[in-house]
Amino acid sequence: MGVGIIDPTRSGATPAASRASDAPRPDSLHGLRVGLLENGKRNAAAVLDAVGAELSGRHGAEQLVPRTKHQFAMPLPDELVEELTGICDVVVIGVGDCGSCSASAVADGIRLENIGLPTAVICTDAFAQTSAAMAELQGDPEHPYLLTEHPIANLGAGSIAARAGDLADRVARRLTTARAAEVA
Amino acid sequence: MSDTSDAPAVDNALQKFRDMLAKDGYDLSWAPSSADAGNVVVRIEAGPDACEDCLVPQPVMESIMSQALAETSYGLERVELPAEH
Repeated sequence: MGVGIIDPTRSGATPAASRASDAPRPDSLHGLRVGLLENGKRNAAAVLDAVGAELSGRHGAEQLVPRTKHQFAMPLPDELVEELTGICDVVVIGVGDCGSCSASAVADGIRLENIGLPTAVICTDAFAQTSAAMAELQGDPEHPYLLTEHPIANLGAGSIAARAGDLADRVARRLTTARAAEVA
Repeated sequence: MSDTSDAPAVDNALQKFRDMLAKDGYDLSWAPSSADAGNVVVRIEAGPDACEDCLVPQPVMESIMSQALAETSYGLERVELPAEH
């Protein structure tokens, strides 16, 4: 069986050798437009929607902007990057629950940060290594992606809600706290 | 002739990656390089339920495995994928 390998490190935006850095952070999510960029994997949209609901309910987000990255292993299309920067103040990206999509999610997060859009990237803990390796390849070895327990694809509605409850506070902190000030 | 005296250390170093690949339906194996006894060749093979689009990108794979092998007396010669794109 032939298998084509996709390389999301080949993004048009961020040279791997450049030093990536975080976008400036807002003080809070109150009144902000929060992008929810799901990658089409099973339950990714449900998890991000549930996180978004928490960000609205408990953290004051004004508007949730759901968007789908239709090819989870590929870099973000330029058109989608342009749209996100125009209609969102911050973006939540997820869920990286496989080798290629975890690497790609981290690459996407770093790309958006480099053009001034704060992000919170969510991957599952089974793919921490690929997330870390991609962060290093993209010039941001300390990139603070968020990990959640693997898997998420088989979660029911109740479990998704519980998972989102745990993630939402961490997402909010990531979106509003400068990296040097983050508590480990 | 290739020396595998440090085989358990290589197995241990690559185990986490083997487990991770298994979640996407891939198998990892390795063998000492025939060209350089100090290096290993890692082979990735797709199982019957492998997710074709899920495989870790090659640059990421090589980075992870090179770092993992740094703990052993072996280096990474190359990674052989199911098919090159």
